Amino acid sequence: MELDEWKEKWAEYDRKLDESLRLNRRLMRESYTARARWALRRLAAMLALGSILTLAVIVWLGRFIAVNWPAARFTVPAILLDAAAIATLAALNAQIGMALNIDYNQPVTAIQKRLEMLRRFRVRYVQVICLLMTLTWTPIFIVAMKAVLDVDVNRTFPIGWLIANAAFGLAVLVVALWLARRYGARFRNTAFGERLVRDLGGYNLNAASAVLATIAEFEKE
Amino acid sequence: MRAEEREARFEKLIEEHKKILYKICHSYCREPDARDDLAQEILFQLWRSFGGFDGRVKFSTWMYRVGLNVAISFYRRERVRLHHVTAGDQRLLESIPDAERSDEDVHTLYQWIEKMDPLNKALIILYLDGHSYSEISEVLGIRETNVATKISRLKQTLRDEARTKHGTR
Repeated sequence: MELDEWKEKWAEYDRKLDESLRLNRRLMRESYTARARWALRRLAAMLALGSILTLAVIVWLGRFIAVNWPAARFTVPAILLDAAAIATLAALNAQIGMALNIDYNQPVTAIQKRLEMLRRFRVRYVQVICLLMTLTWTPIFIVAMKAVLDVDVNRTFPIGWLIANAAFGLAVLVVALWLARRYGARFRNTAFGERLVRDLGGYNLNAASAVLATIAEFEKE
Repeated sequence: MRAEEREARFEKLIEEHKKILYKICHSYCREPDARDDLAQEILFQLWRSFGGFDGRVKFSTWMYRVGLNVAISFYRRERVRLHHVTAGDQRLLESIPDAERSDEDVHTLYQWIEKMDPLNKALIILYLDGHSYSEISEVLGIRETNVATKISRLKQTLRDEARTKHGTR
């Protein structure tokens, strides 16, 4: 059958739908109003929780830096941590802002490209956060020991012990990356853990790039 | 416009154009539960964007643009499930009797559409629904000449498939 014949069949089907299609008004109202409420609450909760916690860390670190100024052995790790916390807060809010500003009333190719770019940004964010968590273990230890127990880690623990700790953090990261690359392909679900493994292993990044390539191909004549 | 008036206008327009919602969901989802989920997601995004609908384009074109965007990203997204409204066995959209099942040709057509990638699916639905090349180009964000080329390729693919099918019989 030719495409134009299919078009006629489709028009006939369209007429049949006119008579047979029923829209459940109650479910329709419930679905869009309930979703709107839920999505806004979820977003507000995410923003509030993430931002308040990170802001609290930034302020606390600022105070720690002021109290311990100019002792570089305490202020340098605290400044590093503070910079990381500020960058995390900025990236988190940028993601939420980008997601909120997506207007689906735009041409399909433009919106799909934006969505994939946002997805790539989110994956990169997760990867950087995981990297930071392992790399900042030693500065966190130095700052926390000083703030909580008033212990000077540099004087109390041998330098070799600190280096071994940093090396252990890196080793954990390398093993986690290896595991994510090895087993990430097996995961298809949207559960947080599985998504994290696919993000770390680079699978979600590759998938986003593949979709961007498909859109670029579609735009070409 | 007051909130109630806005809501009433939105519901009236959706009621008038519910076929679009039905066709998009049937083209992008095979499972009834997933279709319902997609229909709810589309409705939510339509409602969210409704404030920006200024009537410069036809409501059907606007609805297609939002609906197709949501449908394409629906399964691509590593989605965090939004609240799913269910009411027992009831469905948001119901065709009595199920229109595409009662028509073998339409069923075959849906199967053909199902094999396509999400972007070409959008293109073919718009074409079958009688949209002009200019409208399709506006919804998809590609040039009119590109639309024409793609439609012509799809026609050729369909002819080739039919030839192969008959040739192997």
